This record gives sequence, structure tokens and C-alpha cells, in this order.
Amino acid sequence: MNEPVPPAAAPGPDRAATFAIRKKRVKLLGLTVDDCIKVFFGGNAVVSIIVLALITYFLVREGAGFFGQNRQNLQVYRQAGLEYVDFIRTQSDEHTALTRYLSDLRLRALRQLTETQGLSLDAANTALAPFDDYSGKFSDAVEPVRGLVSELTEVATAIKTKFIVNEDKKEERRQLLAEGKTAEAAAVVITSVDFAAELKPLLGTLPAYQAANAEFTAKLTAVLAAPPTLPTPELTDRLQRFATLARDYLATFPAVERNLAAWDFRQPVPAAQSFTAFIFGRQWLTASFWQDWYGIIPLFVGSLLVSLVALSLAVPLGVGAAIYINQIASPREQKLIKPAIEFIAAIPSVVLGFFGIAVLGQALRLLSQQSWLSWVPGFPYSERLNILTAGCLLALIAVPTIFTLAEDALNNVPRAFKEASFALGASRLQTTLKIIVPASLSGIISAVLLGLGRVIGETMVVLLCAGNRIAIPDFTQGLAFVTEPVHTMTGIIAQEMGEVVRGSIHYRALFVVGLVLFVVSLLINFAAQKIVRRYRISIG
Amino acid sequence: MVTTSSAVMESPASASASGKIQAALPGRSPRTAGLPAGSAPATAAAPAGATLIDIRNLDFYYGASQALKDISLEIEDHKVTAFIGPSGCGKSTLLRCLNRMNDLIDDTRVARGTIKIHGVDIYQPDVDVIELRKRVGMVFQKSNPFPKSIYENITYGLRLQGVKDKSRLDAIVEKALRGAALWDEVKDRLDASGLGLSGGQQQRLCIARAIAVEPEVILMDEPCSALDPVATAKIEELIQELRARYTIVIVTHNMQQAARCSDRTAFFYLGKLIEYADTREIFTNPANSQTEAYVSGRFG
Repeated sequence: MNEPVPPAAAPGPDRAATFAIRKKRVKLLGLTVDDCIKVFFGGNAVVSIIVLALITYFLVREGAGFFGQNRQNLQVYRQAGLEYVDFIRTQSDEHTALTRYLSDLRLRALRQLTETQGLSLDAANTALAPFDDYSGKFSDAVEPVRGLVSELTEVATAIKTKFIVNEDKKEERRQLLAEGKTAEAAAVVITSVDFAAELKPLLGTLPAYQAANAEFTAKLTAVLAAPPTLPTPELTDRLQRFATLARDYLATFPAVERNLAAWDFRQPVPAAQSFTAFIFGRQWLTASFWQDWYGIIPLFVGSLLVSLVALSLAVPLGVGAAIYINQIASPREQKLIKPAIEFIAAIPSVVLGFFGIAVLGQALRLLSQQSWLSWVPGFPYSERLNILTAGCLLALIAVPTIFTLAEDALNNVPRAFKEASFALGASRLQTTLKIIVPASLSGIISAVLLGLGRVIGETMVVLLCAGNRIAIPDFTQGLAFVTEPVHTMTGIIAQEMGEVVRGSIHYRALFVVGLVLFVVSLLINFAAQKIVRRYRISIG
Repeated sequence: MVTTSSAVMESPASASASGKIQAALPGRSPRTAGLPAGSAPATAAAPAGATLIDIRNLDFYYGASQALKDISLEIEDHKVTAFIGPSGCGKSTLLRCLNRMNDLIDDTRVARGTIKIHGVDIYQPDVDVIELRKRVGMVFQKSNPFPKSIYENITYGLRLQGVKDKSRLDAIVEKALRGAALWDEVKDRLDASGLGLSGGQQQRLCIARAIAVEPEVILMDEPCSALDPVATAKIEELIQELRARYTIVIVTHNMQQAARCSDRTAFFYLGKLIEYADTREIFTNPANSQTEAYVSGRFG
């Protein structure tokens, strides 16, 4: 305040000169500092979007070729007569399945006789002689048809090999031409395969098949007409059931013959079939001497089952822990438990997988073999690596995600709700269950969905612990399916990608599997976001 | 410098010796049916000042800091008692002590003194806090209806008590909403979300929710601070109607509000009770100079 006060009536121009609010801006490539900062941060955001776009583009580009190739794959399957042979092969395979039913029946009967009725093994075997005769006749009846199948298999394989050799030669010539080696290219001999001519011997066997089939039918009918007697009504019922199945089987024969007669290799494979054969295909069979199948169902089902088992364990654990930490735990417990659960996320999944193989799989199998646990569906089991083992480990991976996000959701419930509830005389449990959880339900559901996303994309654990058998589990025994090994979408990519020829149909098929995985994850994340936005509580 | 007016000292050994809080409910004084709206406090036909809540030498701590210092005051039955004072003076803390809502905050404790309702010390270990809160309802500063329908908001407390009979619930919902002067506005949309109401309606819904469980005391923690003047007027009008049936303790920053709708006023400053007297007395002829400075707007 001791500074002299400037004269009030200072001349105008001087004051204007001291009113220096203009400043020269430093410019870099025509950009101010503010612009540079903007570009830097904006650039980071753009890069991540570009990367995402590139990944999507690459996946689609590599995968898109699959459908054309798969159509050709199916086309060859038809043209080389493999499809024709498979009609008969299926018939023969179904017979094998029935034979297996009979051997299972014999095992039951033998156990019945030796354990319940106390017969010696020899006596029991003697008692089962009529049954053995019956089942022996049944299983031998297929011989003529089976013989035909193996003959035809050779023919069809030969045609297919010829075709493939030719395709390889075409490819070779193309490459030589591309390299400019015209002379060598001309030297490559290509003889186009005349499918009509090649298939003649195959199709010529139709009368032979019809004869074999007639013999087969007659034998089966004769066998079925004279069933043996079995010791208990329960077993007799089973035999009856077998007879019904066998008669149903017999009834399919005319259809097989009709299919064979009507079959035409020239019939084109519809474009959609290459897609449906992938999406609904129940077989994933590669590097087969006969025919490769690229059906995603066994892998998809495998991924789904493992994830569902994981979620059914992780949801109660994760959400329960979140409720405990958020509503009940003392501050000291919070400080202890929260980091511990979040620490699980820090364990590398390969280590978890290793633990699964070495410890958990073994322990679970031992547990399953305890006699007091035999009531659990699927127990005891012998496959150490299966859906259950992988599911338990994946649950461990999902728990931190679900826990953290669910805890956030619970935390976001306004304190006012809790207070209002308490002020009305609600207990802590009532407040939690009736107010806090319902109010945060959208957050909890999205936490579960994101956990699912995390689990379905997990690779290492399933590759190590799911058993890697490419088959759709048997659902007929109810929950027992969890003790079966499966393969998964992520597992198959990790396992096979390193071995496939770049650009081959197998390579592209794996990309399409990756694409499916990508879409599934995308949908799950999208749904999670949607749910949170839609049901977010707005107050005031 | 605690100056308590002599009015507090009458009937010290709280008349209602009915042992348990639970036992107290049936034996309540007959209710005077709804008073005409806006009737002045002085003319209200409430039973004369029998002590309901007796606070003695209360010390309260948040962790290491003392929020209430040696508070002693008696809250009279069927009166509206206002707590006023500048922010941080402890009036909300004291209010929340009355139904033990402070229990929900970690690291809080009553270090000394007692709070007796109907002669029962509510901080005794054998007191059922849940039962206490049913008897001492609360309305919060910010309206906080549950994210449920209007109907479910009101029946929540009753359902907790196990009331399932639909017709009884219906009757109580109507009664509570009428009691909170909200029935005519929402009777056609009881299934709509409570969050869809306006601020003032939400606050009245919260009051309806509180009175649905038939408490004896209603604690109001600055119930109008987030409301516009029209909604505030409605709530104040409602308080006048409720005082016939309930004992009301209201915390307010708005001195006009305290003057308009309370019978007794307590002025707090820095965790101490400075003065407690009839509202008219406090606002016209305060005994304490700090009180006078505050009510006349010279500090606070």
C-alpha cells in the first residue's frame, strides 16, 4: 500500500500501451503448443482404433477365403465319391454301435450272474452261451457290407489322391510361371481327372451292395427273431430295447439304397453349405486320410461348457466375496482380502495351467474315486484333464474380474439407500439383499458378463487342462458331461496354428474360429455395456 | 457458557417409566386427528411437555475429534423441536445419535452420557437397534427413495416386519401417503418408480415411508435444504399436521423455518448446546449473546 497511487487521470494512450494482453505464440510446424498436446493425445487414441481396425480387417481377410476353399473341399468329397462311400460306412458304423450295446449288456449280465447269483465265472459264461451265440451272429451279419466299404474306400481314396496330385501340379506350374520358368512349367504334366470315368467302378458296385445288403437284412431279421433269455427282467428289458433299436436300424436300409441310387457326383455343392457345414458341423477332423471336416460345434460347445462351469463356480465366489467385502467386512479384513483376490489376476495363466495338471487334476480325480462321493454325477472318472479341471481353474481367473467389478457396482449404490433402509429398521442382511444387491444388479450382471468374456478368451489354461479331445460331450448322463475332456476354440488355434500351411484351408479355418471368438467376445462386452447403461440408477 | 432455560428442568425423571421400548407403543397417548393445515405451533393441541427423549451429559467422538460436548437436553413428547446452528456445530450428529445411525459410521463412539427414550437408555448393549429404528424414524437431507415403485417404497419397512396381507398393505400405503399429503398426486401411479417424482414429492414420499411403520419420533435432517420454496412450504405444512401424532426433531439451517414450524429450539455451536428454549423465546428474547448474534444473522 505504500506504492504511490498512479495518477487517476493518466493519458489514454499510455494505459493502452501497458494493457499488454497479447502474446506471441510459439509455433511448431504451424501448430501451437496446445495443438501439439491435442495431437499427441488424440494420436494415441487414434492409434488404438487403427490397430483394432487392422486386426479386424486381417482376421476377416484371412478367414474369408475359408468358405470358398471349404466349398471346394466339399465338392471334392462329392466328386471323388467319398460321400457315396460314406452312406454305406454310416450304415456299417451304426451296426458297430449296436454291437457295443450288446457287449455292454453281456457285461451287465455277467456281473449279475457272478455277483448276485454267485455263479463261478465259467458257469456264468456257460449260462451266457446262447446270448454269445446271438450277439456273435448279430455282429457277423455286417461282414459283406463292411467288406464292400473297405473296397470302395480304396477306390474313392485313389480318385481323391489323383485329384489332389493334379491340384498340386497346377499350383506348381503356377508358381513356376510366376517365377518366369516357362520351360519347367511346360514340363509339368497335368492330366485332368475325369470323375465320371473314375467313378464308374464305384457306381458299378451298386448291385453288389444291394445283394450284400439283402443278405445283411436277412441275417439280422433271423437273429432278431430268436432272442436269448436273460437272468433278470431288467436285462430282458434292455434286450427288448436293443431289439427295438435294431429294428429301427433295419428300417433305415431302404433309405440308404435310395440315397445310393439317387446319388449324382455332378450335383453342385450350394455355396451356403460351406458356411452351414462350418457353423453346424459336428466334426473337426483335420489331416485325415479320408476327408477333412471343419465343423465348429465341438469346439464351440467345449468353450461354452468350460466357461459355464467356470462361471457357475466364479459367480457365487466373486459376487459373494464382493458383497462380503463391501457390506460386512471390517476395514482390516478389507485391507487383507481385497488385494489377495486381486492378486490372483497376477498369476500367469500358464502357471495356473501347470498347477491344474500337476495338482488340481490329480486331486479331483482322487476325490472322484472316493466311494462316498459316487453319487455325484460322472464320478468316478479316469480322465484327469477334463471340463471340470479346466472350469475350476478358469473360475480362478474369472473371480478377480467379477469380484472387482461387482464390488465397484456395490460401491456405487448411494449410501443414502443404505441409510434409508437402516432407518426403517432393516437388518444388515435385509438391506444388502433387498436394497443394495437389487440396486447394483445391472453392475453385477455386467461384471459376470465381462468375467465370461475373460474366460471364453482364455487359452493357456484350457489348452493345458481341458483334455483336448475334439468331441461333443455326451449329455445323456446329465451333469456327468463335466468329467469329459473337450477341446476349445482358443485351444485349437493355439495348438494348430503353428503347424498349418499358410493359406491352406486348415489355416483359414482357424482364422474363422478366431473370428467367431472375436464376435462372441465383442457381443459379450457390448451386452455388458448396454446393461450397465440401460439400468444405471439415476437419482434426483 | 451453557445457558439452559428453566423450562427444560421441569419433569426431569421422565414420566413414562414403561420399561421397554417395545412395550411403549400400545400405551401411547390417544392421537389427535389431523390438525388443520398451517395451524400455528402455539395453538396446537399437543399434550403438554412430557419428556420423551432425555439426553444427559453426552460426549460423542468421530475418531479422535469430539463432535458433541456434554450435551444435556430433553425433547418433549408431541412437540416439534428444532436444532439450529452453523455448519459443523454437531446438530446433525446429535440427531443421528437419537436412532443410532452413527453406528453405521466407522470409528464413532459415545464416550460419556446417556440418551433415554421412555426412560430406556438406547446405548445399552441389550437394545435392539432395529427395534429402536422402527420407533425412531428418519427423513434425510437428500430425498432418497429406493429405486423401486412408490408402493414398494412405502411397504418396504412393513414387509421387513413380515406384513404380507395385501389389503392391509394397501390400506397402510394410502394412509401413509395421505399422511404425507402425497396421495392425491400419486394415487394413480403407485407402481411408477419413486425416482420419477419431483424433488419435493420424493421428500414427501420419504416422509410417507417413515410414517408407514408408525414410529413415535420422526427425525428430520434438513429435509428442505434441497427443495424450492413451494416444495418447502408443503413440507412445513406437513410438519404441522404430523406434530399432532408424532414427536418431531428437525435439523435446519433455515432460521425462518425453525421459527415457523417448531415449538422448541436448541442452538448449538462448536459441539456445545448454547441455548435451549421455546422457539419464540429464542427468536425474540434470547438469553445468550451468541444465540442472539446467530438468530439475527450477525454470524454463522
